[in-house]
Parts: sequence; structure tokens; C-alpha cells
Amino acid sequence: MIPIELLIAQTINGLVYASILFLVSSGLTMIYGIMNILNLAHGSLYMLGAYFAITIIMKLAGGSPWGYLAAFILAPTAVMAVGAAIEVGLLKPIYGKPEEYQLLLTFGLILIFDEVVKLIWGPAYINFPNPGRFLGSIEVAGFEFPVYRLLLIALGFSVAWLLWFLLSKTTLGKKMRAAAADREIVSALGVSVPLLFTGAFMLGSFLSGLGGVAAGPLYTASPGMGIDIIVNSFAVIVIGGMGSILGALVGSLIVGLTRAYAIVIYPAIELALVYLIMVIVLLVRPVGLFGKPEEVRR
Amino acid sequence: MPLLELREVHVERGGVLVLRGVSISVEKGEAVALIGRNGAGKTTTMRAIMGLNKPKSGSISLEGRDITRLPPYKVAALGVGYVPEDRRIIPDLTAEENLEIAYGSPPPDDMLDYIYSIFPELKKVRKSRGLYLSGGEQRMLSIARALVKNPKLLLLDEPLEGLAPKAALSVSKALKEIASQGISMLISESGIIRRVEGIAERAYGLDRGEIVYEGTLRGILEDKHARERIWGL
Repeated sequence: MIPIELLIAQTINGLVYASILFLVSSGLTMIYGIMNILNLAHGSLYMLGAYFAITIIMKLAGGSPWGYLAAFILAPTAVMAVGAAIEVGLLKPIYGKPEEYQLLLTFGLILIFDEVVKLIWGPAYINFPNPGRFLGSIEVAGFEFPVYRLLLIALGFSVAWLLWFLLSKTTLGKKMRAAAADREIVSALGVSVPLLFTGAFMLGSFLSGLGGVAAGPLYTASPGMGIDIIVNSFAVIVIGGMGSILGALVGSLIVGLTRAYAIVIYPAIELALVYLIMVIVLLVRPVGLFGKPEEVRR
Repeated sequence: MPLLELREVHVERGGVLVLRGVSISVEKGEAVALIGRNGAGKTTTMRAIMGLNKPKSGSISLEGRDITRLPPYKVAALGVGYVPEDRRIIPDLTAEENLEIAYGSPPPDDMLDYIYSIFPELKKVRKSRGLYLSGGEQRMLSIARALVKNPKLLLLDEPLEGLAPKAALSVSKALKEIASQGISMLISESGIIRRVEGIAERAYGLDRGEIVYEGTLRGILEDKHARERIWGL
């Protein structure tokens, strides 16, 4: 029997990991849904977010609590700028070319970003100063809850709500959904699809960078962290349905909680279980839980 | 200066020349019919004007300004509204949301009143998703979506094709009203001249990517050459 303290702790850990997964996979799935671009380097943007954050916290803020606040705003913004450069400078020229081009290009970017990170920050793991030091924890019904982790969970759900609001309540979001369904007619209706694409890519990049900032203090920063998150994010969006934000949320919760519980029940099965769920979803519902059957894309 | 002018436009699709030197013009306030069988190049002509198919050669101008190489959204911004034959309503969005993406923000009440005065049928389905609209409602919404931008010119690709008689009557009545407001139109029709009578005065005949007739709408039936090319009569 698993002690209740451990169960609660793992639920929190699972929700924290789900939040971080959602920040990364929501952008990945949104970019795919709207632009039909599968950005393999999306995890590298997450990694950049973590490295930008450590520089802001340590070098610019000298490890003070304000450094964290600054990092949460500035690091994702810097990642968003990198994303804009990638979309405008590298992806735009290959739109309309066969899909192999974007896969090769974004895979190449993973290798480049990993090397750039090693050059600037070195190959070793970098530990963040523990934000729990100044945030502490709160006690509810005799159990300790670290505040930083609770804030991350709140961040994940807040971003989910904001994305829902953007896509279902604003004209910009409706244009994005329309472009996902039929970009040609949206263009003929006077919407600048190139600008819309750049905007969607920047938003996705920002979210991935935000995920990196959030994850850094929990899991350290390392050059391989981008690959690790992208693999799990793919599992998330395959389970949830490619292109669906709700799917990314549900997929993140499934993967996050599964991993957290599996690790205390039978650690060896942790990763395998995630892929087992993915395979079952693919067999029962190939488009994912909230995916739509493939339509003719124009 | 004509509102719209195409000069010697050639368009290739999939390695085949589907437009071979098309020259047509539409004056301000004029409704012009483009008559031809399926595959004659009517849709390609409209797509070329809209910037959706780039001409291989020739030029397209709007109010004297060259728009041959402009992307579709810029052509739309200059005042060209496009109503494709297959309607292309966004299935996930409601009728009013379909208008919203074209207008750029939720359309104000006076714009909606104007739209619903032309298409009273749309008012009842304003909150319904595009997916659930009937073919006739989708056609009306497709025209309405082009209208909210206050266009100078409407490109209507077979707007009366494939509609139930009642819907066809409504659309036809609406088009006459739109034309009477001074909005220019290029309206294609695959064969039944009667359907565009009362909307267009002047017509071009199109066959295998070539203009084979230019004159009054009625006149196309009396022109032996055009009749042979278009209807094989």
C-alpha cells in the first residue's frame, strides 16, 4: 500500500510535470494545427528558455528572488524573438516544399541549438538556485505543499484558459482556427496569412520558452533537455490529437500523472507505460482523443 | 479607366495552359457575366484575379493599379470580394464568426442589419456553425462574407449553381439588389443564361481558356461561333 503522503506528493509532481508538458505541447500542437508545420526543434526552444533564465537569475540578478520574476517574463520573450527569426528566416522560404524539408530543417536546428548551448553555457548540468528558498511551502491538513510547484500548476491551467479564450473569443483566434481549416479562403478574405503564421509561431515559441523557465529549477538545465521534452510532447499530442489544444491539456495530464504514479509503483515501467497508452490510443482512435479526422487541406 | 482589366492573361495549372490570353474588363458599377462550360477556365480566371493562381504572363489591373502579382489578402484589401463556387464556409465557426474573420472584428449592428436585409434567411442561423448550414445558406453566407468588406468588385463563381429553387430565387434577388447598389460584379455561369438575366447586361464567352465572345448577354445565343464553341449547337 502506498502511503497517502507519497500519493499526494506524486499527484503534485504529476500535475507540475503536466503543466510544463502542456506549455510545450500546446505550442507544438497549435503550430501544427494552424501552419501544418511539425517543429522538431520546439523542444530546443524550451531548452533555450531554461538557459536564458539561468543567465538572467544568476548573472543579471545575482540570484535574488526578483531574478525569477524577471526570468519568467524576459526569457520567454527572448525565446519568442528566436522563434520569430526561425519562422521568418528559415521556415518561410520552404513553405510549399515537400514536408521532408521542414523535418530536415527543424531536426538540423536541434543539433545546432545543442551545440550553441554547449559553447555558451558548457556541457555540464547547471543547477538553479532553489526557488523554494524564498517561496517556501504551505501546510494544509498536515501536508506540506511547496509553493513554487503550486504556482506552476496554476500557471499551466491559467495558460490553458488563456489559450481557450484566445481561440474561441477573439477575432485573432478565430482567424487562426479558420486558417487551420482553409488558409486559402482566409487569405482571399483579406487576412494576412504570412503575418498570422509568424504570430502563431511566436506564441508557440513563447510558451515553450516559458515551459523551460518553469522546468529549470526543478530538473536542472542540460543540453539534452530539449530532446527529452519533445519526445514526451509528441506522446502528448498523439494521445490528445494533433492540432487540438484541449487534447494537449488532457494528454499532458495523462502523461504527467502516469509518469508520477508509475515511478512509485514500478519505476522500470515509467516511460514504457506512456508509450503503451499512446499505442492503445492510436489503435482505438488513430486521430487521438480530441483530434479531427484528416480533412483536405488547402 | 475600367475598374478591372485583364490583358492577355495566361495561367498554367499542373503544366497545362488553362487560360490562353484572356482579356476582359469590368467597368465601375457594371455586372458582367462570364459564360462557359465546366473546365472552360471561369474559376481559374477568378482565382487569377484574386491572386490565388499566378499568371504565367499578361497583366491584371484594378483601377489602373497593377495587381498581377499581389497576394490574395492584398487584393482583398483593395476591394475585391471573392465568392468561390464551393462556398468554403469555415465549418467550425458560426455564421456570424465567418463574417467576423472577414470584417476583422465582430461586425457592428448596422453592418449586420445591412447583411440581414439582403439575406433575411441568415438571421435565423446567425449562431449556427457553418457545418450545419444548408447549401443555400452557405452560399448566402459566402456572399455576405465578401460583402462585409464593402467591396468595389465581387467575383461570384457560379453563385446560382446547385441550389434548390427557393434558395436560387433568394440568391438571385439578393444579387440584383447588390448590383443596384453600384457594386461591380463578375459573375460566372456554366450554361443557363436565363439565370443571370436581370443581373448582368454584358457577357464574355469562355471556351478552353480563350475568350470566344464579347457583347450583350442576349447576344451570345445569336452568335453562331460562340454557340458552337460553348454549347456545340
